[in-house]
Order: sequence, then C-alpha cells, then structure tokens
Amino acid sequence: MTVASRLTSPLETMTPSPTILLVEDDGALRTLTARALRQSGFNVLTAATGAEMWVTLRETSVNLVVLDIMLPGTSGFDLFRRLRRESDVPIIFVSARGSEEDRVLGLELGADDYLAKPFSTRELAARVSAVLRRGGGSDSASEPATENRASDTITFDGWLVSLARRELRSPSGAIVDLTGAEFDLLSTFLGYPQRVLGRERLMELSRSRIGDSSDRSIDVLVSRLRRKLQLEGCEPPIVTVRGVGYMFRAEVTRG
Amino acid sequence: MAGAGGRAVALFRRLGLPERLLAVLLLVVIVDFAANSLLFDSVNSFELRRDDAERIAENLVLATRTLEHTEPPRRDSVAEVLSTERFTIDWMPVEERRRGSLGLANLRSQVVRIEPELALADLELHLEELPGRGNIGGSVQLGDHSIIRFHTHANAAWTLTAGRILSLVLPTLLLIALAWVLLRATLKPLRNLIGATRKLGDGLPEPVPERGPDELRELIRALNQMQERIHQSLLDRTQTMLAIGHDLKTPLSRMRLRLDDESVDPEIREGIEHDIEEMRLLLESIQAYVDSDGQSIPAERIDIAVMAETLVDTAADHGAAATYAGPASLELTVRPVPIRRALSNLIENAIHYGGNARVRVRRDGGAVEIVVEDDGPGIPEDRIADALQPFVRLDTARSRDTAGMGLGLPIVRKAVRMEHGTLDLRNRPEGGLRATIRLPLASG
Repeated sequence: MTVASRLTSPLETMTPSPTILLVEDDGALRTLTARALRQSGFNVLTAATGAEMWVTLRETSVNLVVLDIMLPGTSGFDLFRRLRRESDVPIIFVSARGSEEDRVLGLELGADDYLAKPFSTRELAARVSAVLRRGGGSDSASEPATENRASDTITFDGWLVSLARRELRSPSGAIVDLTGAEFDLLSTFLGYPQRVLGRERLMELSRSRIGDSSDRSIDVLVSRLRRKLQLEGCEPPIVTVRGVGYMFRAEVTRG
Repeated sequence: MAGAGGRAVALFRRLGLPERLLAVLLLVVIVDFAANSLLFDSVNSFELRRDDAERIAENLVLATRTLEHTEPPRRDSVAEVLSTERFTIDWMPVEERRRGSLGLANLRSQVVRIEPELALADLELHLEELPGRGNIGGSVQLGDHSIIRFHTHANAAWTLTAGRILSLVLPTLLLIALAWVLLRATLKPLRNLIGATRKLGDGLPEPVPERGPDELRELIRALNQMQERIHQSLLDRTQTMLAIGHDLKTPLSRMRLRLDDESVDPEIREGIEHDIEEMRLLLESIQAYVDSDGQSIPAERIDIAVMAETLVDTAADHGAAATYAGPASLELTVRPVPIRRALSNLIENAIHYGGNARVRVRRDGGAVEIVVEDDGPGIPEDRIADALQPFVRLDTARSRDTAGMGLGLPIVRKAVRMEHGTLDLRNRPEGGLRATIRLPLASG
C-alpha cells in the first residue's frame, strides 16, 4: 500500500488540528520549529532523518510535510522525489541555500511551497496554513488528493496563474510580475469569478492571504492589476460595478 | 603534392621561432642559388640570330682593325667616331680587364665562327648586369694589350636581362613575403592571447587555442592553466562564501525562532530581529552574486515593462519617491530572476543614495533600454569603475548603514552581461546618477 492511501483515510482527517511532519536534522532548530508550529495550533511530529520520516509516514497520517532539503545521508532532493512519487501529501520545503535554482527546482518537483531560512514563526505558520487551505485543508482531505494538487494552476482568457510559484503568465507565455498584494487580489478574484465583490469584502479576502500587506487602497490595487491584465483590443477581465465594487468577468478554469 | 605541402605546413607549425627563421632563410638561399644557376645556364647557352651575331662580329672586326692602326692618343676619339647608338665602343689603355660574371660562352663561339680572327684578339662576351648602354657587353685585346670595350643591344637578350633582374629581386621578395607571413603567424596567436588576457577572470575561462611557434604555444598553455587556476580560485571563493552563508542560516533560524518566545523583551526582540534581517540580507547578496552567473537558470519570456513598473510600485508602496515612465507592456526573453534583481538593485541604490528613482523603459531598435535615474550626489567620476567591482563599497565606514557587501552593482553587471546586454553608469550633468541597461530583444 502506498502512503497516500493512508493519508486520506477519512477517519484520521476528522481531527480538528492538522498534523504536520517536520523533517529537520538540526536538533535545536527542530525543537524550536516544532514549538513554533504547535503554538500556531498544529499537531507536530518530528523526524531527524529520511529514514525516520518514512517510519512516521507509515505509522501515522500526516496532512503536510515540512522538509529541510539539506538533510544528511540522502540528498534532500532525492528524498523529496521519492516522497512525491509515493504520496500526494503537501510538501513545504525549507532550504538554507535560498538560491533561486533550488526554489524553482523544488517547485517543479512538486513542492507546494518554499521557505528560506531564516524564517519567523509567523511566516512559517502563514505558509503552512496557506498550503493546507489550498490543498483543501483538513475539512476536504477526503477528496482525491490528485484533484487538490491539480488546482494549483488556473487559466482565464489565455492567462495562466500558478499559485505555488505565485506566478502569472500572459497568453504569449511571458511572466508578468505582480506585487504580493496584487497577486493576493488576483487569487481572490479567481476564487469568485463572475461575482460582484464589494471593496470591503475584497480587502478582507485578500488580506487573509499571505504576501506583503499593502496600505494601498483596493482601488489602486485593482487599477494596477487591471492595467497589467489589459491586452490590446481585449476587454479587461476585471470590470467596475458602479457603487458596489468589482467583478472578475473572465471564465476561470482550474487545472 | 597537396599532401606534401600540408605535411610541410604541419612540420613548420611545430617549429620554434628560431627554427622558423632558419627555415625561411634556408629556403631563400636555395631559391637564390637555383635562380642563379638557371640563369647562368641559360646565359651560357644563349645564341643570337645569325644576322645579329654577324653584326656584332663585323662591328668588332672593323673596330679592332681600325684602332689597331690608330696611334694610341687618338684611339679615344676614333672609338667615339666608330660608336653608334646601338654599338658603343671605348678604348682603354690599361691592361686590367673586367670580365662579366655571366659569360655568354655560346654566343662567343657563334661570333668567333663568323670572324675567327676575333678569337686571336681574346674576345670576351657577357650579359650586362645592369643594362645601361646595352644588355650585351664584351671586350677584345689589341696587339699592345690595350682593351676595346663595347656594348650593344640585342633584342633577343632582353629576356636574359629580365631573368637576371628577377634573379636578383626574387629572393628578396620571397624573403619579405615569408618574413611577413612568419610574423603574422607568430603575432596572430599573440593577439588572441592579449585579448584573452584582457578578459581574464571575467566569467567562464575560455581556453586560447594553442597555435603559433613553440614558445608561443607554451605561453598560451601556461596562460590557459593560469586562467583555469584563477577561475578555480574564484569558484572556491564563492563556494566558501556560500558554505559560510549556508551554515550561518541554521543558527540564524534558531535565533529568530527563539525570539518568538513570549518572555523576550519586545525592545530586545525588535533590535535582534533587525540584526538578523541585516545578516540575512548580507548572506542573500552573496547568494545573488553567485546566482547571477546562473547558467543553469533557463531564459524565459518576461514582460520587462511590467517588471520595472512592479518594482517601482513596490518601492512607492514602501514610501519611496519612485516613478515609472514607459510602455505598459514590453516582452523579451531573459533569465527573469537575475534581471529582476538587477533592476531592483538599481532602483534600491537610486532611492538609498539619491533619495528618489525615476525609471524609464523604452524600445530602442533591436534592444530594450531601461534607465534608472536619481537626483542624488552621483558617484565621483574616478570611482565609477570601482563601483562595478565586487566587494568594493564606495560609502565611507561612517555611513555604513546599508545591508550589502558592495555586491549591488556587480550583480547588476553580471546579470546584464549574461543576457549580452550592457550596463552604463554615468553622472547626469544636472546632478545625480543615471544607470542605463540595454538588453537585446533577440537574445537567446
């Protein structure tokens, strides 16, 4: 049996707080990170090596793995590949290298997020929550895991959004930069297509996401986002609904 | 033939400079010798048409007989009278007789056959080395051992004269040509070497092809090895920095997480968090400097206008005076992360040192031009080159409040060079610094 089948067992996912498996070789950092996660309300299991990780994964159901890829013994990336092959459990990988290549490689191998050392408790908790929410979270873990994963990419009007990489690509395939706040706003719109959203509601929904919080008014953010999504001769995907708020006009496809 | 030639060239290539010089000289000597022998032979066996030979014979017999019967004091003037434009005659009282080096033996026999008495007068005929009054010269001896010298033009002998001149000039020409080729062949690899030396340590080592004479090839080999060593030591340096950075990050992580303990005084927490952030930025700039080599990161299509505008917006959101002017969209293919960091570094520098940042993007022919300007003090002219050197900080120790290791602009330059672009830094006449990045639109 694969690990995945155990992970998605409905009985286990009834537990209110999600279980996080932390794989980290540095003892003190492992203790500190585990404490930080527990403080944030997660149930934490720890492993110091890849071998310990496999044992834990076989014995228990886990909602998310936080993996330090510079583990001794097997290369972090090898461990990572094997874990991805055998299971659909969401993975956040932690790296001390912080190099762009590592980040891209990790995300391409199927990591759900990337965290560079040194990180704060707040940052760690926010990433873990975001990945759990995106993956369906504890309440929807009974869904087939593959579908959760596939929802990572979203398309509309030829544009492509990758939530894990926090990346937007134009219909011609070019990477279009967004600020953190703009990306959060876009993600919010994509969650509520063809629905009118008031400014207050938009603000509230966008702020709950991670990324830089911005003091800019929602109107400024919307106008910036709209300008970036505006193609010559095309209707802008975001329309203003006078007196109410904004609506994401375009058809949104997940997967 | 071609094979032999090729082998000769290959052999020549293996020779050192002195051997090459010797080879060239030897070749020239051989050619000189061959040309001279050939000429000597053809002069020796040269004959004139019968009527031309008869003309020479008759003229000589006439002159000999006439002068023989003339008193010595008058011989000069008589000789002058006997001379025509095509056949000049001089009389010389002395016995010393200059014989030409290129004797016309066959022609002499021909003439003697016509007038046998000339043999008694010890006729001597030669090809004139330099055609002045005629191309054939000669002399006969009178009874009193005085000499009659004569010169004549013989049309048929002109080819010999030409050959004679050629045999004088050819080896010289050959020597000049070979010396030129030799110098070129020696200097070309040297020039390559100079070019390579100039670029040394400026990116990946490019071995200079080992060509030219022995000594030069040894020099090139030594330089290539030096290049490799420099590259290796640069790699070691960056690897060491990376390793230190990597190892420091785990304790930094621990520090940061320890700070999140409730019992830590908020003031202390804030101070230490600031310190940790500064250390993180230092380590990150090293990482970025190493990454900006990023050969392994693939180039991707990006919207450079949106990228610049987004960076400006982010800076403005943090309260900086940053503005953007340019198109809403402009796509090109580059490595996104290094280029984003390059733009970000320029904007951050402008804001930090100049107080504001004006970013302009425009399409200029086959390139994209990105200009970042500020109204600050600029950089002293003599330090602009320093600003591009890694680990050089222009600000004095007193104002050492920036996180960084003097890698900001070097990162920009490396990133831009990776895309075959250029970075230009100059002070604006109105004050302030202007950094201009040009990226080719058609880069790979």
